[in-house]
Amino acid sequence: MFAEAILSVMLPSTDTLDRLFQALADPTRRAVLQRLGRGPASVTELASPFDMALPSFVRHLKVLEGSGLVRSEKEGRVRTYWVVPEGVAAAEDWLQSQRRMWQGRLDRLDRYVIELNERKGRE
Amino acid sequence: MNDSAQAGMNPELDLVLERVVDVPPDLIWKAWTRPEHVKEWFVPRPWTITECEIDLRPGGVFRMVMRPPDGEATGGDPGCYLEVVEGQRFSWTNALLPGFRPASPAPSDIVFTAEITIESHGNGGTRYIARAMHRDPEGRKRHQEMGFHEGWGSCFDQLEELVKSW
Repeated sequence: MFAEAILSVMLPSTDTLDRLFQALADPTRRAVLQRLGRGPASVTELASPFDMALPSFVRHLKVLEGSGLVRSEKEGRVRTYWVVPEGVAAAEDWLQSQRRMWQGRLDRLDRYVIELNERKGRE
Repeated sequence: MNDSAQAGMNPELDLVLERVVDVPPDLIWKAWTRPEHVKEWFVPRPWTITECEIDLRPGGVFRMVMRPPDGEATGGDPGCYLEVVEGQRFSWTNALLPGFRPASPAPSDIVFTAEITIESHGNGGTRYIARAMHRDPEGRKRHQEMGFHEGWGSCFDQLEELVKSW
């Protein structure tokens, strides 16, 4: 129920696994993931270690995003990428994926109660 | 956490997560035990919780229905509260239906018991511990076999390596 309903977002569809496998099959994309594991980064930052034309590099980023492993948002002229823990959990060890699910859940809880508390303080 | 619970800990099957937050304990309690709050954080956006049922007493129901942004709702199987100590501790499981009737989970289901312990910490803050206990390793292995098709091993190995490097 609760746990596996979330997990089912990540696990069973073959499509999802196909995209995940494709995303991980390339050394550039793995290096990008490794970098994003340390925190969000802009396209420019991510591209800088690679000797590659920007359009080709951006294609790699799109494949990663399509796999659900990372997500991005554009603010002004800067697009920033970050890792999606739930996407990563899809491919991990069983207990590790549970751990990440709980961590994500508690992260959201903490953010929520802090916000709630601030709202209460202002009222 | 109470000692008996700690003693029953199995690192291969169980998880313990501890948090300290700068909000009063009663807020953490409410966030965990009132549907209108649980709906706000239990699932990652863009998923939403369309129904949440909480009957906070031993044997009472804990149930929710989740909806992905573009698909059918899932979940909805009721879980059962085991222990409720107002403001301090509660636990629930999906191994039982409400009223303690044994559930018949699908083989792919992850059967668990979760316990949340809440206590005040420092000046107006809260320390809480979430503990999730899972079933035997055999059930776990079966789950893995069902979820992961053959041939995906290298993919997962690569990812595991990455994650370990973080």
